[in-house]
Amino acid sequence: MKSYKLSIIVVVISVLVSCNKDLNTELTYESYEFAGIDEDAGDWNPILLASGSDISVDAPAATNSAEYQAELSEVKSKIASMTPDQKKKVDFWTNNSVLRWNEIALGLIAKYNLIPGPNEDESYTLPDPSNPAGPPPFPFAHPPYASRALAYLSVAQFDGLIAAWHYKFEFNRPAPYLVDSEIPNTYVSNGLPSYPSEGAVLATTARKILTAMFPLEAEYLSKLEQEHLESLILAGENVPSDLEAGIKIGEEIATIALSRAANDGMKNAQAPKAVSDSLRAAAFERFGWQWENLESPVRPVGLTPLFGKVKMWNVPNVEATRPEIPPAPGSEIFQKDIKILEDYADNVTNERRRIANYWQDGLGTYTPPGHWNDIAGEYILKYKMNVIRTARTFAYMNMAIMDGGVSCWDAKYYYYYPRPIQMIKDFETIAGTPNFPSYTSGHSVFSAAAASVLTYIFPQEGEIFNEWAEEAAISRVYGGIHWTFDATVGTTQGRNVAEYTINAAKIDGADN
Amino acid sequence: MKKNLRQLILLVGGLGMSYLSLAQTPTDGLLMPKGDICFLIGYEYGQFDHYWEGETLRKNGTIAKVQRRTVLAMAAYGITDKLDAYIGLPYVSTNSTTPNGGKFAGASGIQDLTLGLKYRALNSKTEKGQWSVFGSLVFSTPASNYLSDYQPYSLGIGAPQLAWRALAEYEFNSGLYLRGSGGYTWKGYTQAEREYYYNEGNYFTSWMDVPSAWTYEAVVGHWFFSKGLRVELSYNSSRSTSGDDIRAYNAPQPTNKVDMDRVGVFAQYFFKKPKGLGVVASFSQVIHGRNAPEMAAFNAGVTYQFGLFKPKN
Repeated sequence: MKSYKLSIIVVVISVLVSCNKDLNTELTYESYEFAGIDEDAGDWNPILLASGSDISVDAPAATNSAEYQAELSEVKSKIASMTPDQKKKVDFWTNNSVLRWNEIALGLIAKYNLIPGPNEDESYTLPDPSNPAGPPPFPFAHPPYASRALAYLSVAQFDGLIAAWHYKFEFNRPAPYLVDSEIPNTYVSNGLPSYPSEGAVLATTARKILTAMFPLEAEYLSKLEQEHLESLILAGENVPSDLEAGIKIGEEIATIALSRAANDGMKNAQAPKAVSDSLRAAAFERFGWQWENLESPVRPVGLTPLFGKVKMWNVPNVEATRPEIPPAPGSEIFQKDIKILEDYADNVTNERRRIANYWQDGLGTYTPPGHWNDIAGEYILKYKMNVIRTARTFAYMNMAIMDGGVSCWDAKYYYYYPRPIQMIKDFETIAGTPNFPSYTSGHSVFSAAAASVLTYIFPQEGEIFNEWAEEAAISRVYGGIHWTFDATVGTTQGRNVAEYTINAAKIDGADN
Repeated sequence: MKKNLRQLILLVGGLGMSYLSLAQTPTDGLLMPKGDICFLIGYEYGQFDHYWEGETLRKNGTIAKVQRRTVLAMAAYGITDKLDAYIGLPYVSTNSTTPNGGKFAGASGIQDLTLGLKYRALNSKTEKGQWSVFGSLVFSTPASNYLSDYQPYSLGIGAPQLAWRALAEYEFNSGLYLRGSGGYTWKGYTQAEREYYYNEGNYFTSWMDVPSAWTYEAVVGHWFFSKGLRVELSYNSSRSTSGDDIRAYNAPQPTNKVDMDRVGVFAQYFFKKPKGLGVVASFSQVIHGRNAPEMAAFNAGVTYQFGLFKPKN
């Protein structure tokens, strides 16, 4: 009897233990062998800089100099006294930390992607960059904000790496693990010259850009930067002077990127009510319709009415990408769309619900731009991209995503087109209706732009990227918050916008 | 005999009440005779227009007032005089009242299949009354593909649960009784329909760990009309062992740390004829919580108990 009871206990415990799942809180990858190291990447055309040599770096001490030898012994003693916690951090950062910093950015986006709620008196307070602690805290990392944060992060990292590559192959100073056989390389060795440190470029650039975008995270980001820099020494990748040169590049390129950001028009994007009302009135006069916010209490201004005026990366004139006028309410096409939406709402199938939720990327998440960064990361790993190819992929994709967002927001506030819940009586949705006009769908534009750039980078995977972009677009119709033409026109718009970025990418030298 | 219905009713109360405390264990202090079976059909209406975001009670125009209706079918069976088995299946429907700022569709469907066992470990008479001590084990698991990551309209938490509970009751000869119980509900993982969520950091998975919880209850009750009617006042409480807070003006999610304190009143009446037929009604109100709705719920049901097999010897 006793052994019977005991065996029951054993079974119950083992069932409970086996039910315990490992939930990934970070991208699961380890240091890996790169498909190539792109020795000529120092000659690629950067985005913000004119060339990789625009940022100057002093010639390094020779490996046989006393100065360098002193650095080596410092490295060795640090490695010898490495704690298990430090070792964990070394493993965390890996030899492709672009992905790690991207993942950190996604986490910050999700953390700050919270729409400010109403005050007691039913008024709304906007996040204020001059008082980031709020309440509400700054920023509200909505999709346009996220697209911009990711674009600046990726572009600055890419340019910084081009500068680093330029000097790596100019000075050709080998990595400590190659100079001294007593120094182990934790990562898969790739033979890249180590001066300036590409890891340091990435750490400092990311810390500085993300701190500007998420000012309340300054301390957290600075701690990550320090841990990353320390890991580069402990991994046998760099000596301190490698880091110093990388930090210098990081500081300078981030400063250049942030000065562009300061004047790109984003600070005016969340226009005051008077401006927002005049856009609404203009649309009503032109087209005879106007979107209204139906929240309770009503939000007086839509989300970033002037994001459509923000400086684009590769599109010279946003109006050149503005889509045609949407169907007028009451028209035959419009009435047909109402029927489609009502049918989806009345018949929520498992598949449509899954798609609506899978691509929703709503409040509190990393947003659609973040989702596409997540997807890109997977393919970057699949194709074993090196650090600079990774940065290039993110830079071009995120520029296209942000340009897509700007173009989409231009259309949204030019046409000021109403949402389904406004036009269909008693209509209910399974996704949250956002606080901006309907036409075109942001998800559709962001996704098509991202998928187009990813197809350019990974042509053999293009079919699946485009399938996903179309699924992301229609997901909004399944969710009940967009018209079908918001989605289809938005997809076309995203592809068009991305062409500008792809054309720029094609001549940056990386394809040669 | 009549009073043997009680544990079923209270199990029902646990199941049907507010969606954050589904599938509690049988909480009563009685057992059915071997071979007896009891059926219940219950209906519950619950509503809230305030909820605790973390520890701050708030309203939210996006959801206005949330209504929740549950129809529950249950059966209990006396396997032996010391051991009962339970099975239950609720149908739940949720919605917001109009007007509301969110225009979200409610949800409806079959919720969790619940299977339970209750065992009497001790039963002893004293001069002034009677002691009973019980242990129970309840397992539940989603019986449809409802989406747990659709709060506050989700039908349930969408995860398997295993709850054990220990319960002691003392009934005075006067008809007054006191009951206390404590237990633990292990809650498994629920699968969202997205591959990323934020829970004080990145989660790159569709699986969400639903926090387990400790549960406690204290009851004072009294029999009237020579055991034809009884009335109870209850206080119960649950405390999650982990989890995050609902973020500012954001929807709840299954990973939240949900705590709740609730008071309730319960009454049950047994008809003399037809024998075995009873009605129950209860009202409960959440009075304090964390990441929980300030739910008020009214519950009514009909029970019918009879001997399924004539027990031999």
